[in-house]
Amino acid sequence: MMLTQIIRKFNLLILTLFVLSILSFLLVYLFPGDPLVNLTGLENLSPEAHQKLAEIHGFDHSYFYQYWLYLTNLLEGEWGFSFSSGNPLWREIMQTLPASMELSAYALLFSLLIGVPFGFIAGFQHYKLSDYSLLTASVVGYSIPVFWLSLILILVFSLQLGWFPLSGRLSLLYDIPHQTGFIFIDIFLSDVEFKNDAAKSAVQHLILPTLSLTIVTASIIFRLTRRSVIDVMSSQYIQTAYTRGLSGLQVVMRHGVRNALLPIIPLFGMQFAVLLTNAMIVEVIFSWPGIGNWLIQAIFQRDYPAIRAGMLAVSTLVIILTVCTDLLANLINPALSGDRRAQI
Amino acid sequence: MALLDIKNLTLEISGSTGWMKALDKVNLRIEEGEIRALVGESGSGKSLIVRAIVGAIPDNWRITADRLTWRGRDLLTISRSERRKIMRSEIAVIFQNPVSSLDPSATLGEQLMESIPRQIVADTWFWQRRKKRLQIAIKLLHKVGIKDHQKYLHAYPHQIADDIAQKFLIACALVSSPQLLIADDPTRGMEITTKIQVLKLLSQLNKTRNLSILFVSHDLLAISSMANKMTVLYCGQTVEDGKMVQLRKRPLHPYTKALLDSAPSFRKDLPPKSPLTTLDGTIPTLQHLPIGCRLGPRCPRAQKECVKVPELRHVQDHFYSCHFPLIREKE
Ligand SMILES: Nc1ncnc2c1ncn2[C@@H]1O[C@H](COP(=O)(O)OP(=O)(O)OP(=O)(O)O)[C@@H](O)[C@H]1O
Ligand code: SF4
Ligand SMILES: [Mg+2]
Repeated sequence: MMLTQIIRKFNLLILTLFVLSILSFLLVYLFPGDPLVNLTGLENLSPEAHQKLAEIHGFDHSYFYQYWLYLTNLLEGEWGFSFSSGNPLWREIMQTLPASMELSAYALLFSLLIGVPFGFIAGFQHYKLSDYSLLTASVVGYSIPVFWLSLILILVFSLQLGWFPLSGRLSLLYDIPHQTGFIFIDIFLSDVEFKNDAAKSAVQHLILPTLSLTIVTASIIFRLTRRSVIDVMSSQYIQTAYTRGLSGLQVVMRHGVRNALLPIIPLFGMQFAVLLTNAMIVEVIFSWPGIGNWLIQAIFQRDYPAIRAGMLAVSTLVIILTVCTDLLANLINPALSGDRRAQI
Repeated sequence: MALLDIKNLTLEISGSTGWMKALDKVNLRIEEGEIRALVGESGSGKSLIVRAIVGAIPDNWRITADRLTWRGRDLLTISRSERRKIMRSEIAVIFQNPVSSLDPSATLGEQLMESIPRQIVADTWFWQRRKKRLQIAIKLLHKVGIKDHQKYLHAYPHQIADDIAQKFLIACALVSSPQLLIADDPTRGMEITTKIQVLKLLSQLNKTRNLSILFVSHDLLAISSMANKMTVLYCGQTVEDGKMVQLRKRPLHPYTKALLDSAPSFRKDLPPKSPLTTLDGTIPTLQHLPIGCRLGPRCPRAQKECVKVPELRHVQDHFYSCHFPLIREKE
């Protein structure tokens, strides 16, 4: 049963990625200009070189053959070159994507740490003053535009108070070689002298962008949790659990918490996609060297190969994460895993 | 003293059209050791009475009563924890829909074992308690007629059939040796053999443990084989109340008569192949309640006076509320 679940999700994943690769391949033709240039990212070619490239990429064959070559290249990490920098796209993405993931992951972590407990408090205090106050706060947090919030945070905490740096990921004093792309791991792996100071600087740079992202996401998670808690606590099995003689605390701990969390875990996974989108905006404002910032630059400069590759990378990441949380949610939820209504 | 005594219980639900009286001056009394049946059409408010008794009523509903007492203690004014304590040890309840009464994410075994009160296992060391609980759970399951306990203790609620869930809930209810068992439609959708099993089990518990039972059901046949007393509910009003035998022999309220007539096996004088005499129409919704006697629009005996709510009257211990009861026929 568990295995079929995994296989089913895996099929879904492969299928979606397949469709995604077709779409990105179509972009080669849909973007203005020479498809071959869009595909490889190599400009100003001599006629002979152009001829040779067309042969390599199967441009004298059918579209299917071209797509096949495109797919094998993708899998081998040959994603073409950027117009603007001339660097291989795969390498650029591998440098920027971890920075975005890092930012989103911390934001998600803090959103969960804030949203879930407050969601439970509000859900249990349903219709009371504390519930209404938290709900109001969440509406405010939810409706503030991210870019505006980021600018306000910069204005107050960087420019006025000077507590946190304005932009970037690390003070320029420290030169950490790129290894994994995750800053704390890289600092740890590097052999610079002032590891502690570097880490401290990294934390300081991280706080404001994380905060901007956390406020919105925590509001959403708060609302999801609160709703779920209210639904579960008014459900019949909770009422019955009281009449079965359990104390209030026992009912909440044994039946409330688990049932409230189970249905919303996949929704948390989906928040990651929203978070990544918001992170792109925040990256631009804070000059965070992530994929969002990189992608926006690519769009400004009409760097078609980079746009194509960046979109492919981001959507692949989102899909993998969504499918994984979905699978996880199914596996830990006994009412979903296994055959439904297989009566014994 | 009666175990449970309800006088003029009124329950109002706020809806789009304002407050609706879902229960209107309901009376119900359960003595020690008796089985009382609560009958009425679907939507007449039987489950609401059950929920009002156990306190599973949303905060935004309005509940009032002249009396709602359990062994002399007023259930409406005692604190929440006091009330819970009573529910824990003295009243057991089986709600209508068995599967939704069980936590979908916990196994049946966990749920049954956690219902076993601590005092029952208090005389053992804590590492022996799990085993002791398991033994008690298995014994209870056998008692309610679940033989294959291995299979069910580790099953989740969505994996079991409805009648197993029902029996399982009876087992949960019996854990604390209650004095009153409230069973809301415990035989719905059961096969005839399992139904007989459950009914037998309940009567047996009534006899051996002196367990009082409030038996809510549509199933007149099942009721007549078990109950001593019967309360008939129509549209949130108690229309008739009395001893089972009396009610069967000579119903006073037109609704009770129609209800009994709709179950053919109740009438011995029925000529073969005669049409069923039941009431026209259907039970009104809460938004469109008639004034006065709520049976009015459907009642064959209705007259002008019926736009006033009939008083509760009685002949000895046989209560009814109707302006034109069926006694006059005889005169
Ligand atoms: N949560 C609720 N909100 C609003 N109205 C409700 C609610 N629960 C029940 N009612 C209404 O109260 C009335 C009585 O419902 P109840 O469930 O008590 O009927 P019942 O006699 O138990 O019927 P059945 O035999 O089908 O179980 C119905 O008209 C129903 O629409
Ligand atoms: S009071 Fe009138 S309407 Fe109501 S049951 Fe009696 S005769 Fe019928
Ligand atoms: Mg009901």
